Amino acid sequence: MTKNKNKKLMRGNAVVGEAAIKAGCTCYFGYPITPQNQLPEYMSRRLVEVGGVFIQSESEISAINMALGASVAGARVMTSSSSPGISLKQEGISFLAGCELPCVIVNMARGGPGLGNISPAQSDYFQATRGGGHGDYRSLVYAPASCQELADLTMEAFDVADVYRNPVMILADGMIGQMMEPVTYDNYKPREIPPKDYILDGAKDRPSRIIKSLILNPHEMEEFNWKLARKYRIIEKNETKYEEFMMDDAKVAVIAYGTAARIAKGAVKRARNDGMRVGLIRPITLWPFPSEIIYRRAASVGLFFVFEMSAGQMVEDVRLALKGESEIYFYGRPGGIVPTPVEVQRLITRQYYQKGLI
Amino acid sequence: MIDKYAVFVPNLTNRAENFTSGHRACQGCAEALAVRHVLKALGHDIVISNATGCMEIVSSPLPLTAWNVPWIHVTFENAGAVASGVAAGLKVLMRKGKIPEKRIVSVGMGGDGATTDIGLQALSGALERMHKDFLYVCFDNEAYMNTGIQRSSSTPYGAATTTSPAGKDSIGQHTWKKNMAAIAVAHDIPYVATACSSYPFDLQAKVIKAVESGGPAYLHVLSVCPTGWRIPSHLAIKYGRLAVETGVFPLYEVQDGKYRMTADIPKLRPVRDYLSGQGRFRHLTDTDIDIIQKRVTKEYDKLISLHKSNNG
Repeated sequence: MTKNKNKKLMRGNAVVGEAAIKAGCTCYFGYPITPQNQLPEYMSRRLVEVGGVFIQSESEISAINMALGASVAGARVMTSSSSPGISLKQEGISFLAGCELPCVIVNMARGGPGLGNISPAQSDYFQATRGGGHGDYRSLVYAPASCQELADLTMEAFDVADVYRNPVMILADGMIGQMMEPVTYDNYKPREIPPKDYILDGAKDRPSRIIKSLILNPHEMEEFNWKLARKYRIIEKNETKYEEFMMDDAKVAVIAYGTAARIAKGAVKRARNDGMRVGLIRPITLWPFPSEIIYRRAASVGLFFVFEMSAGQMVEDVRLALKGESEIYFYGRPGGIVPTPVEVQRLITRQYYQKGLI
Repeated sequence: MIDKYAVFVPNLTNRAENFTSGHRACQGCAEALAVRHVLKALGHDIVISNATGCMEIVSSPLPLTAWNVPWIHVTFENAGAVASGVAAGLKVLMRKGKIPEKRIVSVGMGGDGATTDIGLQALSGALERMHKDFLYVCFDNEAYMNTGIQRSSSTPYGAATTTSPAGKDSIGQHTWKKNMAAIAVAHDIPYVATACSSYPFDLQAKVIKAVESGGPAYLHVLSVCPTGWRIPSHLAIKYGRLAVETGVFPLYEVQDGKYRMTADIPKLRPVRDYLSGQGRFRHLTDTDIDIIQKRVTKEYDKLISLHKSNNG
């Protein structure tokens, strides 16, 4: 690896903050909840320096709706929380989608349900990818697996949100939020953003604009829903991201995202050292889900080994993607348990032999 | 006087420890002490709905618990709502004869974040509905201490926290502490009081009065937090006293709309005495302290005049 002088050792939560500022975020609204507190703390200091606005709201509901307000005024805006707080934000996220307003929402997830704990978990997959709030909508969901990816995806998230006028969620967990890694912000390639001709900023010398999600006439509502659906098809086509690791000759494909994918990668490397043909498919966008590549791999892969730090959520998307073409083995550790690569490798090995893939 | 004769103290109060030792509060936590005194005064026939916060976290790491009374942990914003539900549920069960008729106090508990910020809506609803045998206690340590000292609307002007950092361009918290007791008074409820764990007898007397008032009642308890205030852990009691003696946190009660000052302070000490030793205020300049002094004097005078007009 070549040395990059612009690399800085930073904590995951602070990385999100710095990346947001690099992407032109000027408004941040947040509320205390572990394990994402370093992000609002970082923003409270850093946004002042770039002339932005930091407000600690009185609740998560206020934070997401302040974000909606800033978004409709035309600002680049971000809010963050952790699982229980994200639950409170769902109504606001649904309104963002319904009003077609851009916003970046960060979820440093923790174990649940209820107050749960503050350990890293991946049990918010359904909530993030199935909309979470009410109505026929989708949010684009990024699942970074390192601090560098946290930086790259956060910066990209702002552009994607603006291009599609849609809420974008960064779904990580306490592990990625708390760990420190060297990060550069040089990878950012700003996209072309369509002019914001919808924002509300006074109506002197022009017709006033209305932003709303209330459409009482069911025919019009249906038409609006189809319009959103068409937008989501375009997002599926253009924005799906994934990483393949040692998949060329793989007989077993491990599928994992975020923190679990890092553990899985270690397990895959160990299995390879033992001469097993194992690879990893890592979804980087959870919605849109990389179904196509998973389906294509079914032709050469004997077993799909799904590993999640939950009781089994993404595994349903894998099942849908495979359309029954291949077998699935699921290994889950919910509740904030972070297994080791050795543990995951042991299970991969067992499956490898049991399926007679050797 | 009796304070000097420690040997008599246990005889004057409930000996039962309903908030037991062994919980995981920080060293010198005056909030845990406040909870202990409140529970001594409340007795056993209560149901506590405790919002997320320091007292919930430190007291209930499964399978352990510090509570010897019925207790439920609820979402951050809903201690007022759940306590309302408990009061309503008990009422209907008694009315239908399913449980014996007796006074069971539904107690909502929360920190300053859970009360003055996120839980204000639910609390206001509960006070407005005039639930009988309903008490809400706010344990105010003046920031979100549990998550790592973030400012709340109850954080005093000038205090440095992690989300209101003090520096060249910032004094720290730049708004004045929300007057939560006055908001409660505005609901026209039978009993509102401020208290502090540095004045345990006053605190317990107010809890008893709150229950006897029939409810709903609101108690705002200043709970010194050595960790968040950046003071030595053995000085929590002293700083509680200083808050009262300087007029920063006046002790008073409002019974049926009538104000009464409850601490005997012939002459206020300067606020500097209170501010100077605390790490969270260490950046304040003389001008800043003057601004705070003016505000404290003004607010204190307001209370004194209310006290005088209500008590002849």
